[in-house]
Amino acid sequence: MLSRNIRFLARRYSQAVTFRTTECSPSQHNENQIGLFYSLNNDLCKQLFAHGGLPKSYMKQTKTFTETTLMVRLPALEIMNCIKATDFDKPAIRYLLYGEIGAGKSLTLAHLLHYAYEDGYLIVHVPWVSEWLRRVPRHKEMSNSQTHEGFVDLPLDAAAWLLHFKMQNQAHLKKGDLKISKEYVWSKREKTPQGAPLAELVEHGITRVKYSCDVVDALVNEIKILSNSKQCKTFVAIDGFNTFLYPLTRLRTPTKKKVAPEEVTLTTSFMELTKNDWVNGVIVLTADQLGVPPEHQESHLPKYLLYKKGFEHIDPFVPVEVGRYSEREFFSCASYYRDRLWLRGPPETEGELKLASACNPYKFMEMCAPL
Amino acid sequence: MSNIAHKIGPLAKCVLQNSRLNLWSTLTQYRFYPRPTSFPDYFQNPIFRKEDQAKLIENNELARIAAVPVKPPASYETSSVYHDPLVSKLINHVMKMGNKKLARNLVEKSFENIKRIQIERYHLASTPEEKAKIILDPKDILYKAIENSKPLLQLLPIKRGGITYQVPGPITDKRSLFLAIKWLLEATNDKERTVHFPEQFAWELLDAANNTGKVVKRKQDLHRQCEANRAYAHYRWQ
Repeated sequence: MLSRNIRFLARRYSQAVTFRTTECSPSQHNENQIGLFYSLNNDLCKQLFAHGGLPKSYMKQTKTFTETTLMVRLPALEIMNCIKATDFDKPAIRYLLYGEIGAGKSLTLAHLLHYAYEDGYLIVHVPWVSEWLRRVPRHKEMSNSQTHEGFVDLPLDAAAWLLHFKMQNQAHLKKGDLKISKEYVWSKREKTPQGAPLAELVEHGITRVKYSCDVVDALVNEIKILSNSKQCKTFVAIDGFNTFLYPLTRLRTPTKKKVAPEEVTLTTSFMELTKNDWVNGVIVLTADQLGVPPEHQESHLPKYLLYKKGFEHIDPFVPVEVGRYSEREFFSCASYYRDRLWLRGPPETEGELKLASACNPYKFMEMCAPL
Repeated sequence: MSNIAHKIGPLAKCVLQNSRLNLWSTLTQYRFYPRPTSFPDYFQNPIFRKEDQAKLIENNELARIAAVPVKPPASYETSSVYHDPLVSKLINHVMKMGNKKLARNLVEKSFENIKRIQIERYHLASTPEEKAKIILDPKDILYKAIENSKPLLQLLPIKRGGITYQVPGPITDKRSLFLAIKWLLEATNDKERTVHFPEQFAWELLDAANNTGKVVKRKQDLHRQCEANRAYAHYRWQ
């Protein structure tokens, strides 16, 4: 038993497969590092992904592996190269990540978020749209909107998102050079004056949960104005964007009326943000099959998932497919798992797993679990 | 056709008896059919592992059994690297109402849990000696757990003079394996409703592999009972 372990250890270290790169800054990643893992700083991870952003199963892995690593993959690199070559005086370009379930769309988005963070963008990141529209816990906080007639507010979700926004943009908000352009009156006694820092607006949304949806709406407008006036550049990332466009949500009003996504105030705000009527920004969206109910998961292609309405809404967009692992990525991942003690067994196991998982990253991870 | 097979059946049995005995000793694995099958009993059990096939070729026994009809292997009898007879046996014991998919899922989940717990321990351990002591392979843990929970004796109720005595006696390997798995599963199912099977099963396996826990205690209790009843041992043959 012991000798066998030693034999495996010896084999593991004798293998000259490199699966790690020491380059920790995403802006320096290039084609040579495709398939290699780079590790994220723990504090940064907490700051960027504390309120969601990494899938739950991946969070579990990071705990077991005692580190957070991301694989450098082609789709992320392509988008980064595009962003580097973008003329920021032109309307914001929209990128759409699509791919099979478990192909790594969310992790590609995480890689891009890290890039945006390093590059000093103002990050507007929605971790998972279904969390708002499709996940209904026993007591979902819902109320009719005061400002928009016939609309539904999700105050708690909006407040949680504002907290997430605050966490991700600590640096920008602390500096305080982002000012709001007009006065917002919330009630008789509460108002946010013109020229107040953006942080005050966010803080108001968090403390006065009742107004959080309106604050999100105001925030979106302000971000657009700030970007247009070149005070900051903005990186918008929405995971599971297609959930906004599915005809129905799982929400019900107290009168049991079914709610369409257009009738939710958060939807309107973020749909406003994904229009390309503003400059100095980057918009990355993902279309995910898991964001819609199982009877409408027939295809992972954007045209099917976004419907005609959504497709036209984001029409001039750059579709980027996140595919399965290539041969090189697969073996790099396998040796990473071996290094983290996640995968064990004779070397033939890899070949078999490659066949059985069809190189799908998530399936591969799952299949390694009981081995 | 079936008539002929019927007539040939016993005859073929006699002829094959000799070779079969040899085969039995070489083959540890065989497909066990609980009910009569459509296969006449001169059909051989399939040899599906690559290692076993290599052994056959090495011993030049392949030519001898090449012409013998063979039963088809079951869907779970594969030559895959991660096939394990004990694990598939365990899955069959966990299975209820023929829901094998769920049973396999549960067992795999518990293996995953074991792995996570052990890897965490591995990272927590400070010295290399401690690290080397931790078994990381869940299958090794399972083997060790079952080895530790297998009883060596059993109590048989035997009626003598109108009184039923619990008489200690030897136990077959197969029955002790059965009891070990049964006890492990019973210990697992004796849990809070909120704790899930894979979690509890992982803990039971880890406990048993560590020679502690409910199952090992149950085995020791049985041994103690056997020891206490040794005075009745002669009832086995009298």
